[in-house]
Amino acid sequence: MTVYQCEDSMESVFTAVYRAYEEKRPPEEVSLSMTDEPMLFAEFIPVEPDRERTRKVVSTLWRNFGEDDYLKICMALAAPDPEKGQAVYRTIVHGLRDKCRQGHLFDDLKDDYVRKTFELARGVLREYDHQRGFLRFKEVELIQDCRNVAEDPGGELWGEFSLCADAGASREAGARSVLYARIGPKNHLLTFLMPHFADRFPGENFIIYDESRKIIGIHPAEGREEEKGETSGTGKGEGIRKEQCERKGGSFRGSSGDAAGEQKPMTWYLASCGDGFTALDGLRSSGRELAYQELFTYFCLKIAIRERRNLELQRNMLPLRFREYMTEFQKNMKQ
Amino acid sequence: MGALTVGQGMTLMEKLGILADAAKYDVACTSSGVDRRGNGHSSGNCVACGICHSFSADGRCISLLKILLTNECIYDCKYCINRCSNDVPRAAFTPDEICTLTMEFYRRNYIEGLFLSSGIVQSPTFTMELICRTLWLLRSRYRFNGYIHVKAIPGADPELIRQTGFLADRMSVNLELPTAEGLKSLAPNKHRRNILTPMRQIQNGIHANRNELALYRSAPRFVSGGQSTQMIIGATGESDYQILEVAQSLYRKFELKRVFYSAFVRVNEDRALPALPGGPPLLREHRLYQADWLLRFYGFQAEELLSESRPFFNVLLDPKEDWAVRHLEFFPVEINRASYEQLLRVPGVGVKSAKRIVAARRNGNLNFEQLKKLGVVMKRALYFITCGGRMMYRTKLEEDYIVRNLTCERNRIQFGSEGMTYRQMSLFDDGRFQRQVTPQEKLQVAVGQI
Ligand code: SF4
Repeated sequence: MTVYQCEDSMESVFTAVYRAYEEKRPPEEVSLSMTDEPMLFAEFIPVEPDRERTRKVVSTLWRNFGEDDYLKICMALAAPDPEKGQAVYRTIVHGLRDKCRQGHLFDDLKDDYVRKTFELARGVLREYDHQRGFLRFKEVELIQDCRNVAEDPGGELWGEFSLCADAGASREAGARSVLYARIGPKNHLLTFLMPHFADRFPGENFIIYDESRKIIGIHPAEGREEEKGETSGTGKGEGIRKEQCERKGGSFRGSSGDAAGEQKPMTWYLASCGDGFTALDGLRSSGRELAYQELFTYFCLKIAIRERRNLELQRNMLPLRFREYMTEFQKNMKQ
Repeated sequence: MGALTVGQGMTLMEKLGILADAAKYDVACTSSGVDRRGNGHSSGNCVACGICHSFSADGRCISLLKILLTNECIYDCKYCINRCSNDVPRAAFTPDEICTLTMEFYRRNYIEGLFLSSGIVQSPTFTMELICRTLWLLRSRYRFNGYIHVKAIPGADPELIRQTGFLADRMSVNLELPTAEGLKSLAPNKHRRNILTPMRQIQNGIHANRNELALYRSAPRFVSGGQSTQMIIGATGESDYQILEVAQSLYRKFELKRVFYSAFVRVNEDRALPALPGGPPLLREHRLYQADWLLRFYGFQAEELLSESRPFFNVLLDPKEDWAVRHLEFFPVEINRASYEQLLRVPGVGVKSAKRIVAARRNGNLNFEQLKKLGVVMKRALYFITCGGRMMYRTKLEEDYIVRNLTCERNRIQFGSEGMTYRQMSLFDDGRFQRQVTPQEKLQVAVGQI
């Protein structure tokens, strides 16, 4: 038995998949582990994530199984499940061996691994659907002293936005501000949420902070290509480490753009924040922010039909765990 | 062109309160099939399956900023809170207020877009023009690229409706009441023909636009999310059968994307309106939605579900179960051989699970255990299926027996401590439309009011 020991990342799992093929090991004698649980009589191979191998696996998956099924695999890998690496590996093996056509990778739900991957993906997709709607941005002000202090772990981050803030100053309102959202999902959703919001709000500076994983997604407003080169280097701050600096826009979604055709690739970054990360503490809402929060809260109150009141249905549709992050459910709001 | 003058001096908050309150009975949803990627500069995209952003205390989804442009109205529909004979506070938004609210709500991810309707001010054409102007402002000045659902006002200048259609993703003309007689008794200013005319116009517009798009990919899009309509249920005396027939012909003859059913809420004291001591007929509305799904995705026809002699839905069984127990000659269905269409007719099997069954059995026969894992609701399906020629348990293929089991199962598991509520089984995979039968409804059933 050969055990490939992966980190909890897509790159790592895909690299392991590649190596299992490269080293021509029979799938039945391979296992992908994401824990360091010992296993008797097994050969352990730690896997270093490798960009080139990952790229090859991604293109193979995409070509053979199509975008939708490729996305399902990515989604499955976003679940907090230590078995996911193994399930995904065997699903891929199954699909390549059976020569599944595009969109048919998950046909054989009788197979335990295929079904496991499918169920993981479905769980992630469900939370993604929720989160995509329930996430709330608030408009915050840039904090002057924070971005000027060189030692500050968040300094670089704010430097990023101060650039766009200046660049945007001459453009329409909105480009000057930063939108900030805090989420606490069960799954690692940022890689899916970022492209969604980057597509939706190209002209906005926004940050999404996943507090369960201490990861932050950053999207600077479009239209400042020149400056970007400098700031995209490797992060120096202690608390914040830039993980992916390249354009991610193309790697999760197809180029199936609409009639307009020639779209600019989307740009966003993920960065993981260490323990000393404080840059988001004490963010101050912008002057008009509170007014819109109150307007929306009032709207939610008014749009309900009293005669149909049904709090249990509301709770089924909108699980309580999301509410602590949602504007309209905050206690200080007049509801 | 004149501007609206009502409610001047009100704060934005006060206006929003009045105009959201007045718009709340309209039903809309964003799952319109419009998939529109962002264009790289202005705000917005659309997602085909729709996104729910919140849920209000009635459990309904909040996905759009649903407001009236104004609640002033020259008409006097008896069921409507805004009718001219009511003495209620009136307000009106300016186009800029609507645009700002939409943009600011949108960028905070509160909403998916705008739903704009209005009372009739001065004339239908005047009102339509206000709506059209607002949308134009939102799309071109504010560069909003998100979802817009707008009402077409019956009787308005067709040219205005056409122009509006190029700015909106979805348009709807409300049928209001299922039959022309109902309309005449409760909405004296409205006429069936006036309502169907713009509906037809929009349908034709969508067709013409499709041809244009085939020729020029960049041609402007006309109502790309299709049109919908809404009927009030329980304000007039139509049967479920009549209502479902109307819905069916709307789907067939007008190619509507959705027909919404809205349980009547008695907001006005009026002798022409029925008194509903049990509250709005929610169970009835629920059954209609279930049947509507059967028409659109399960290959059923209205006449199969109901008839002149059985014009109302069963209270305890959903429409598909009800159909199945009355058509036992169709069952049991062999899961490993039945066609997709046959599978769809089995209670407990949804569209998704039917597709999964068809895909999964290519690699060999399925058993009951696997069927469950594919998402089939076994406790409802088991009376109607075989796997490899065998039934799951020894059961009788007999109407009374099955009905008793389907409903007693429900009672045993679902009756709460009050002994009066049970969870209504849903037809749908996603459970999104599940709701409970309330004590009032049980009461309504008992006194034959539903
Ligand atoms: S036209 Fe009828 S339904 Fe519409 S706002 Fe006026 S009174 Fe109400």
